Amino acid sequence: MNSLLDTFSTELRRGTLTLAVLSQLHTPQYGYSLVQRLEKAGVVIEQSTLYPLLRRLEKQEIVTSTWDTTESRPRKYYVISKYGNDLYQQLKSEWATMTVELEKLIEGDGDSGAD
Amino acid sequence: METVELIEVYVYEVTRRLPENNREDIALELQSTIEDMLPESYSEEELMEVLKKLGDPAKLAAKYRDTPSYLIGPRVYDAYVEVMKLAVPWAILIAILVQIVDSVLSFSVDEPLIPAITGTMGMLIGSVVEVLIQVFFWITLTFFLIDRYAGSSDNLSEMMGGQKWNPLSLKNVQIIPKKKIIKRSEVVFGIFWSVIGLLFYFNADRFIGVYRQMDGEGLRMVMPVFDNPVLLSYWPIVVVISALQIGVLLYKFKEKLWTRKLAVTNAVMHVLSILVLVYIASNPALINEAVGPYMVDLLEIDYTSFDNFINWAKWTVIISIVVAVAIEVFDSFRKANMRI
Repeated sequence: MNSLLDTFSTELRRGTLTLAVLSQLHTPQYGYSLVQRLEKAGVVIEQSTLYPLLRRLEKQEIVTSTWDTTESRPRKYYVISKYGNDLYQQLKSEWATMTVELEKLIEGDGDSGAD
Repeated sequence: METVELIEVYVYEVTRRLPENNREDIALELQSTIEDMLPESYSEEELMEVLKKLGDPAKLAAKYRDTPSYLIGPRVYDAYVEVMKLAVPWAILIAILVQIVDSVLSFSVDEPLIPAITGTMGMLIGSVVEVLIQVFFWITLTFFLIDRYAGSSDNLSEMMGGQKWNPLSLKNVQIIPKKKIIKRSEVVFGIFWSVIGLLFYFNADRFIGVYRQMDGEGLRMVMPVFDNPVLLSYWPIVVVISALQIGVLLYKFKEKLWTRKLAVTNAVMHVLSILVLVYIASNPALINEAVGPYMVDLLEIDYTSFDNFINWAKWTVIISIVVAVAIEVFDSFRKANMRI
């Protein structure tokens, strides 16, 4: 029962991950700083999911990356691209509509019994 | 092992599973990420905790890889299964036929029968298994290559199946009702028996005969039942009938279900076969001359009862065939006329 719940919530969350990650990339972030920011906001994302996701976003030219070698250890910084930002805005409004719609459905759940 | 080395080993375990060209980049990023996650001076336990968080290197590598980890993708899976279903029965049929033809042609009359049969059975199983492995391997390999290298287009299934799907194409689809369907196995077995029949017809002098238990040597053929030159004089008509039979079977294969036209063709074919059978059987010279005296001697009966026995046997065979064929023909018309 619980594992089924896990499956569903993972599925539910998976679609929102890209949105969550993109929202944090308006300033350059390296892998671990991004993890911390997301964690602080309460968004749970496995690191083993995050890093491949960042690479994929880079390949799709949604984010760009640069290696910073000035500090003690080299870090790869990711930042959202112009194209990525356009996509992010559309995705954001898509999300807004979706939550409103879903909210209506879930709210309606309560009074369907009264009919 | 030093903790720094442990990080290297972890990174290596991930990157060795990845394509060469982005290994270095991923390795560097992973390395710095792991170090980011660790405090200034860390213990081995803390490192283990961090690595545990990152998880199994194989799983992490799989997430980095773009190519899927399945062999036959969903785009070609249907076509793959279809081709398998088509190829496997034919491959088995051909493997069995080749093996039987080979055994029959190499069988010598001096050999005891039973060991020869069991030997052939063993070889049959072996060659069927071998052919199946070959068929599975080559078809799977072909589809794997198509799936992997035919580009990333979504219309691959269209390439395989012909056209893009359109609701209008539903008009061309024929729903085959279960009761009218002609099983593929029926056709395959039909062809199998036709070829086996022909094989034994041409080798009747070596297989169809009077068998006797020989002391210590098992079953051996004493003499053939048929007069071979007489039997073989009918060869053109036998070959033509067999070819027609196979033709009708292939027609059944193509139609997939019983139609009136097919039922008629099938019936005509059966009547023709029976006529030929009766025609050949009615030749009194068909039975080997030597069989009569031999049996009379062996069973201590007179010639008249032997002749009666032969006639009785002939007609029993013919009548049973006629009855079986009549049932099949009747059934085929019933199925053809059935409404969906």
